[in-house]
Amino acid sequence: MAITLKERLIETDVLIIGGGIAGLMSAIKAAGLGVKVVVAEKANTNFSGAGATGNDHFMCYIPEEHGPDVEPIIDEFQLGQQGGLRKRNFIRTWLLRSEEIIKLWDDWGIPMKHNGKYEFSGHAFPGQPIHHIHYAGKDQKSILTQQALKQGAEILNRVMCFDLITDQERVMGAIGINTRVDEMVIFKAKSVILSTGSVMRLYPASTTPSWMFNTRLSPTCVGDGRAMAYRAGAELVSMEIPILRCGPVYFARAGKGTWAGVLRDPDGKPVGPFVTEPDNKYGDPVVDVYQDVFMAYKDSGRGPVYMDCKGLSNDEMAYMVHWLRNEGNVALLDHLEAEGIDPRDKPVEFRSYHYELFPRGGVYYDETGKTSLEGLYAAGDEIFGGISGAAVFGWIAGEHAGHRAKETRIASMDVAKVNIEKIKAKIEAIRNRRVGATWKEANICLQQIMFDFTGEIRSETLLDAGLAALRRLKVKALDSLIAHNPHDLCRSLEVLNLLDVGELVFITARERKETRGKHKRPDYPFTNPQMAKMIVVKRVNGEPVLEWRSLKD
Amino acid sequence: MPPVINEESCIGCGKCADACQCDVYFGYVDGETAKVTYPEECWHCNACVFVCPVEGAVTLRIPLPMMVLYQEKGN
Repeated sequence: MAITLKERLIETDVLIIGGGIAGLMSAIKAAGLGVKVVVAEKANTNFSGAGATGNDHFMCYIPEEHGPDVEPIIDEFQLGQQGGLRKRNFIRTWLLRSEEIIKLWDDWGIPMKHNGKYEFSGHAFPGQPIHHIHYAGKDQKSILTQQALKQGAEILNRVMCFDLITDQERVMGAIGINTRVDEMVIFKAKSVILSTGSVMRLYPASTTPSWMFNTRLSPTCVGDGRAMAYRAGAELVSMEIPILRCGPVYFARAGKGTWAGVLRDPDGKPVGPFVTEPDNKYGDPVVDVYQDVFMAYKDSGRGPVYMDCKGLSNDEMAYMVHWLRNEGNVALLDHLEAEGIDPRDKPVEFRSYHYELFPRGGVYYDETGKTSLEGLYAAGDEIFGGISGAAVFGWIAGEHAGHRAKETRIASMDVAKVNIEKIKAKIEAIRNRRVGATWKEANICLQQIMFDFTGEIRSETLLDAGLAALRRLKVKALDSLIAHNPHDLCRSLEVLNLLDVGELVFITARERKETRGKHKRPDYPFTNPQMAKMIVVKRVNGEPVLEWRSLKD
Repeated sequence: MPPVINEESCIGCGKCADACQCDVYFGYVDGETAKVTYPEECWHCNACVFVCPVEGAVTLRIPLPMMVLYQEKGN
């Protein structure tokens, strides 16, 4: 018998899509304003998103530590791993609001101090100001969930939103599915906040292309927000600029941030100039500025490169392990222990996660959380900004979306009705098809195309060929995806979203005719100062339209 | 492949299935021993191990392709 989806309608003032750090901060703030707030979360807010079982670094500006002038900290930030893609005003707001958020988190029970004081550490270079503090974030998600519930927000776990409802001018709600039973959930809302996180599974996983869920950030964060915002007509920016990170080889759910060793070649010689002995304060920042070091050593016959913790005392080692635990790396620590790997005796091989070139850019939002669409806000890793970006802009987006909801009446959705019926038919077709491609098949095919044609090397001819292949795949996926249960349906919808996100990477990468960071164009091998601008893409009459925009305030 | 449920000590509370962000326990039936339906979708975040009230009833087994590599002492 054919499967039909039940329909459930939910009306709210503010709908928050994605209950990670950003979404929960939005929920706490907006609900605190006295408006009705619903969080639609694909998993369970207690353990979902990139902050699932912990984080340990929080970017901030603390006047007492850094002095009364924020400008030098902005300069320092622009030099680091997250710099260069945001207007100065945006970063200023971020930094100036960070201390307020730190105090809130500390009050709520997320320990932001170590032995009674802020512990400045990581993502900086010796001799320069450090703009990250260590914090003990292992229980952050359950604490934020409790705060959101306390303020009166409603949390709907296991509901994946995948499309926005618009009337061409403004956003009026969203469509989702229940990931456990056959049910479509339709949300009517006055304001919608997107906070669905980063884009994993677009490229093959980190260092293990055959092991898809071995990703650095959460493998369930797959650019749902970017895809639905684009389809609704919102502006996206900087989709062509990839992130490249590094960490222990083959075990990606980690990253380098908290490791306090020296990166050395097989003969023990440091590969960078910054540290020669393990340093718990700085780690080895060479990879913040020279991400190609691992491949350069390999290609020149000098690899591999190891993270060597030799020289750390027992106390210093315990200190590093303490933060790795708070970062949620318990599975890695348990593995090291089970295998008898003490990184002081057995340096751990590090590598860049060179397959995983996910886009840093995404849904454009300003320093008030507003996107280019009326009624739509975004926060957190909708543009990559890490933990503190998620916390600060989640809070700010919640504030503005909440105020807007107070001043707005709920819109009639009659205009959207036809579209909702079409979407429902598409989903039911996937659920009822008996023969066809699984989501995994389509996802693997997409990853191949992304890595081969817009991966480490990009050029006009490669990009053209790859885009044509991706578009063929998209048609095939729509016509042939099968899902035997709601879980597989959720994954199928994720892949359809990833296909849209991938297409935008191709289109914007083709437009950026220069080499910039990890956007490597051998047909345009130099960095062109005239192109230090953002590429904006949005959908107009069903087609992508591109625009260059200044990064100046 | 991860996670591994010890059927003898599992009390069927379902906390692991509730916590998992990747829903690797999809299809969990209330009161029954948890089953790992989608082991290859595990992110190794350890949430199921943290919430399990019985020590050792859930453990993560690191799959071979994810083994950490290291330099032997004396090399």
